[in-house]
Amino acid sequence: MSTLLPPPKEIAMLPVDWVEERSGAISFGKYMLFRNVPKDISWLQTLGSALITVFILQATTGIILAMYYQPTPETAWMTIQWITNEATLGWLVRGMHKWGSSVMVVLLFLHMGRTFLFGAYKYPREMTWITGAIIFILVMGMSFTGYLLVFDERAYWATIVGVNINGTAPILGPALSYILMVGPEIGTHTLSRFYSLHMLVLPSAIGGLIFLHMLLVVRLGVTSPPWSRMEPTERDV
Amino acid sequence: MPRLTARERREGYQREYAFQQRHGKPFFPHVVFHDTIVSLIVVALIMGITILWYAQFGAIPTDPMAERTGGLLGPAYEAKADPGVLGYHPQPDWYFFFLFELLRIFKTPELLIVGTIIIPTIWMVLLIGWPFIDRNPDRRLSRRPIALSIGVMVPIVLLTLTFYGSKVPAEGGAASTEPGAAAFAAGACSTCHVLANAGTAGNVGPVLDEAKPDYATALALITNGQGSMPAFKATYTEDEISCLAGYVATWSAAVGTTPGPNAATAKDYPASCEKAGGLFAGNASSAAGP
Ligand code: HEM
Repeated sequence: MSTLLPPPKEIAMLPVDWVEERSGAISFGKYMLFRNVPKDISWLQTLGSALITVFILQATTGIILAMYYQPTPETAWMTIQWITNEATLGWLVRGMHKWGSSVMVVLLFLHMGRTFLFGAYKYPREMTWITGAIIFILVMGMSFTGYLLVFDERAYWATIVGVNINGTAPILGPALSYILMVGPEIGTHTLSRFYSLHMLVLPSAIGGLIFLHMLLVVRLGVTSPPWSRMEPTERDV
Repeated sequence: MPRLTARERREGYQREYAFQQRHGKPFFPHVVFHDTIVSLIVVALIMGITILWYAQFGAIPTDPMAERTGGLLGPAYEAKADPGVLGYHPQPDWYFFFLFELLRIFKTPELLIVGTIIIPTIWMVLLIGWPFIDRNPDRRLSRRPIALSIGVMVPIVLLTLTFYGSKVPAEGGAASTEPGAAAFAAGACSTCHVLANAGTAGNVGPVLDEAKPDYATALALITNGQGSMPAFKATYTEDEISCLAGYVATWSAAVGTTPGPNAATAKDYPASCEKAGGLFAGNASSAAGP
């Protein structure tokens, strides 16, 4: 005969304990959930997490679009048209991706404004700001590369002007334009290069930087508001 | 501006952090609650705009190559990109309007680089390096007059540039009947350039009545582009390009029907226009247009 079974509650905990013992994931999760944050932070500190939400939304809708979109001059516009007009809820997926990008830029400005006005980039949070600033520039790159993909007239001419703007840089400029367009004109290779930047290179860079950004935020703690009463600088400096 | 030693700075932060740990509130449920509400509002907002955008579309066009029109929030898509299309206003997404406006402000060839490279580069360096520029350790706005004024000015400048950058060029007047005038006015040139004789009012590139290029300059620019001007060798035939170049050389800075100062550099241009035909040939020979 086998020994008596442990009580059901302990059986239920077995997989949890198994994972905890091998990874520490459970205590890490508990730390993340129950760590203390300044008592007087509230709505203004939610913009960063809203940005994470929009980033996830962009990734999800982007993955769905990538299942139908074909980046060649012959098919790009056709597949966009098909997604918008024919695919079930295709307009919703495409529309949320399109408008999500605008909302993301607005949120970036608000979040930057919040951290600026709160002086939250000051010692020891300089690196939090720098990772954020690089994310901001990369997000502008996402917008620029994504704009061409629809391959309608507006996209085409705006991209030519944009690439030519890069081209005005001394020494590097012409080479940069050439590398972006893969030749003197916008064509098949331009589209696939923009597509690869837009859906592989830039998002993984942004994702990695968001991870670093969050690591710093958790490690250093969110800044108490400048008006916070137990502000040590007020007592001691 | 109070200066702190590295040690004072570190200890100040450590005191603040310890205080947060002792007297703070737990991340869950307080922060999670606020974060969830704001994230839901943001997703609902994106979905709402998308639904409004969709609701204002016209019917699916019967012509499979046509644009699907929209209202205030823009079309579903415009017509398929065509390098040979005539007369299109390039317009970036709204968050690049401020750069587009810089391009318009510094539109002469010598100054162009100020708007395209120098100012944006300075902005990016200031943005990334900001924590090292602002050395004031105080976080209260009342003790940060310089940072506060920068924080107020930057949004004002950006919003102003964005506002002006969003404006499409004004409608111009009527084109003259000279060969090439109709093609210039109907073509991509009109988007960016003012040329009184063609009645165009584009405001992205230099005013041609002031730049007054001669024939060779105009020919090179139209063929290969320069700065933010596109190359048109894939768009137009050789005859069409020499017709346009000749037209620009002859009729920029013209006074009424007296050609401009560089007319002599392009004496034979009407012949190219004749060969190019269509819109290029001028009203006399192709009154009906293309
Ligand atoms: C996709 C982009 C971004 C994401 C997902 C993100 C996320 C976050 C989150 C979740 C926080 C925690 C506190 C809060 O939400 O206010 C935070 C803090 C912070 N962020 Fe970002 N952020 C992004 C972009 C930026 C940018 C562009 C900057 C500035 C150039 C920036 C600078 C900072 C700073 C300095 C803090 C520390 C705030 C404090 O300690 O009070 N972030 N970020």
